[in-house]
Amino acid sequence: MKKVLFVVLIMLVVFSAFGKEIVFWTAPNPLQESFWKELVQQWNEENPDIQINWSTIPAAGSSEEAILTSIASGRSPDICTNIFSGFAAQLIEADQLVPLETLPGYWELIEQRKMEQIVEGWKFNGHYFVFPIYSNPMLMWWRGDLLQKLGYDSPPRTYSEIYEISEKYSVPNEKFGMQVILGRNWWDRWFDFINYYYAASGGKSYLDLERARATFNDEHGKSVTEFIYKMFKNNWTAVDLGNYPLYNGVVLGGIRGPWEINWAKEQFPDVFDDIVISPPPVPDYYPDEEPVYTFADTKGLVIFKSCKYKEEAWEFLKWVYSNEENDLRWVTMTNLPPARGDLLTNEMFTDYMAENDFFAQYAGFVPYAVPPALTTKTVDIQDALTTYLIEPLMYDRAGPEEALTDIVRRIRTILF
Amino acid sequence: MGLKSLRRIEATKGWSISTVYFIYTAIFWGYPFFWLFILALSKWNFLTPRKFIWFNNFIKMFQDELFWRVVLNTFNFMLYYIPMVLGLSLLFAIALTKIKFFKTFFVLAFLVANVSSGVAYSIIFQRLFAINGPLNKFIYALTGKTIPWFSEPQLAILSIAMMVTWKFIGYYGLILFSGLNSIPKSLYEAAELDGATGWKKFWKITLPLLNPSIVMVLVLAISLVFGIFTEPYLITGGGPMKRTFTFQMMVYTTAFQKLDPGYASTLAIVAALMSFGCVILTRKLIEREVEYA
Repeated sequence: MKKVLFVVLIMLVVFSAFGKEIVFWTAPNPLQESFWKELVQQWNEENPDIQINWSTIPAAGSSEEAILTSIASGRSPDICTNIFSGFAAQLIEADQLVPLETLPGYWELIEQRKMEQIVEGWKFNGHYFVFPIYSNPMLMWWRGDLLQKLGYDSPPRTYSEIYEISEKYSVPNEKFGMQVILGRNWWDRWFDFINYYYAASGGKSYLDLERARATFNDEHGKSVTEFIYKMFKNNWTAVDLGNYPLYNGVVLGGIRGPWEINWAKEQFPDVFDDIVISPPPVPDYYPDEEPVYTFADTKGLVIFKSCKYKEEAWEFLKWVYSNEENDLRWVTMTNLPPARGDLLTNEMFTDYMAENDFFAQYAGFVPYAVPPALTTKTVDIQDALTTYLIEPLMYDRAGPEEALTDIVRRIRTILF
Repeated sequence: MGLKSLRRIEATKGWSISTVYFIYTAIFWGYPFFWLFILALSKWNFLTPRKFIWFNNFIKMFQDELFWRVVLNTFNFMLYYIPMVLGLSLLFAIALTKIKFFKTFFVLAFLVANVSSGVAYSIIFQRLFAINGPLNKFIYALTGKTIPWFSEPQLAILSIAMMVTWKFIGYYGLILFSGLNSIPKSLYEAAELDGATGWKKFWKITLPLLNPSIVMVLVLAISLVFGIFTEPYLITGGGPMKRTFTFQMMVYTTAFQKLDPGYASTLAIVAALMSFGCVILTRKLIEREVEYA
């Protein structure tokens, strides 16, 4: 017994002196925590010379705030998850991140996970600094039961169809056709305006970062702004829809992410069974046979340049993401579609998809879910979209063309 | 022992006692204060090296539409909040002087609002005032109309002013109550002998002699207006049309969402200066020397 203890002690001393430690931060989310906890434990047992020091991103106002503080104080992690596009752009511009394609086996892993198309959305100056983990397409949820009462068997697809059902359903100050705008926070613009623009334009980017200008003052942008304006003008939607408008029948439909599936199932079990999912609405001219693109609420992980053991950190990530079983565990535990291009075709996920129809529908849109533009000015731009485009349309302070011209000019000033 | 060595011992004692405070102040007040001014003159994004840009942040601020919007919002908010909180706290204080039983219970009941978590009651108010919330359901049943508490620009400011008023009535009311208690009863008795009515006593005795407490409440209320954050941040997000966007929200979003701590520091300095300016002006206009004799 004494001998065993002695050997263990010697091993501990040797590893602490010569072993490599990698600091790894993940999103402070209980479901994701349980996923990583088990995996890190397994890796640490199998790799005593490369130990992962895992914790969640420290508590702060936001993950970004915690990460910034850690960088400013010289205590940044080696690997960090929960990075959104705008923040990634800021980190890249500040030269904090490792271009992942320079690490051995990057393209093999991307190929194995069929992620070629997905990583293109994260390309920055010809490099791939972020490894996307999950991609949440934002889709429409409709109240199938209420639609049927109105005489419709399927949810509306185009703006005109939405106008038609809204006119039938709306009662001033009481009931509305659709929740068009999700809120006043800057991130809400991802889910409404940008999402509608992606749908209308077939996934076209809303910013041209090389020419420092907005691109949505085209026919698609005009259609989207007209749609928002008309819905508010006719009282078919409202600024304040109260609490849980979709489940209380205040609106017939609205944009939702896959994270709402489990919550809705628990909170509103009776209504949940009547929910029907469809892609975001499109202008009337959008071809029937074309797939509808959506916004991808996507987060990725990065390796910081300050990491002493970059290749070892990458080895750990390869170990996690080259095993499909880990993706299945991720799906089962979090219900978030992993960022891989073969979700629908890979047999590993067939059983889960068969049992979880809602998840399957979200997974089906992963290939058409477009991430946001990689700009350091994300917050400024989306704040401006709220103040100078969405709110003037909501309160009828400006017409669609006027608001569109104004916002494009302002975005030019922000980006220039 | 000579006078000199006695002085030295006294001085050593003094220094040793006050040094702890000096060190504490230097670390937790002096250092951030100095750093605030350095930041206000710099361009920085937490990550890349800091660059001195002298007064460019101040120039940028005066050209910033949003800054002027926030200045207007602050005064707009004051217009609702100050009369409302002052009037209601005064009513509460006067009511306390009339109550004979359960006085402590009432004081504590009003103070609960002051010690409650801002996040918790903001969420409660948001639900309460929602377009299909209980308050609007009641109004709709009575009048057939609903009130867009948080979605009409002026109403949104008023709603937030009402919430903050609710929070501070108990606290300010207690300050005014102690002011009322310190007015000698003999003054009222003398006035009654001279045939003064209730209103006359209030205007000629209570209000003038309550001046120090009123000034204190005003100073506290004004500085609070420049520091509001939780309620608009959680309920309206600064909207509609940026009408509930406050100085503290602007400082926070500029520093931590737009990653521009230099500009945020500039805004913090200007907000503090404006707050001091308003306090000084109020004292000059309202403060009076009060003697009870």
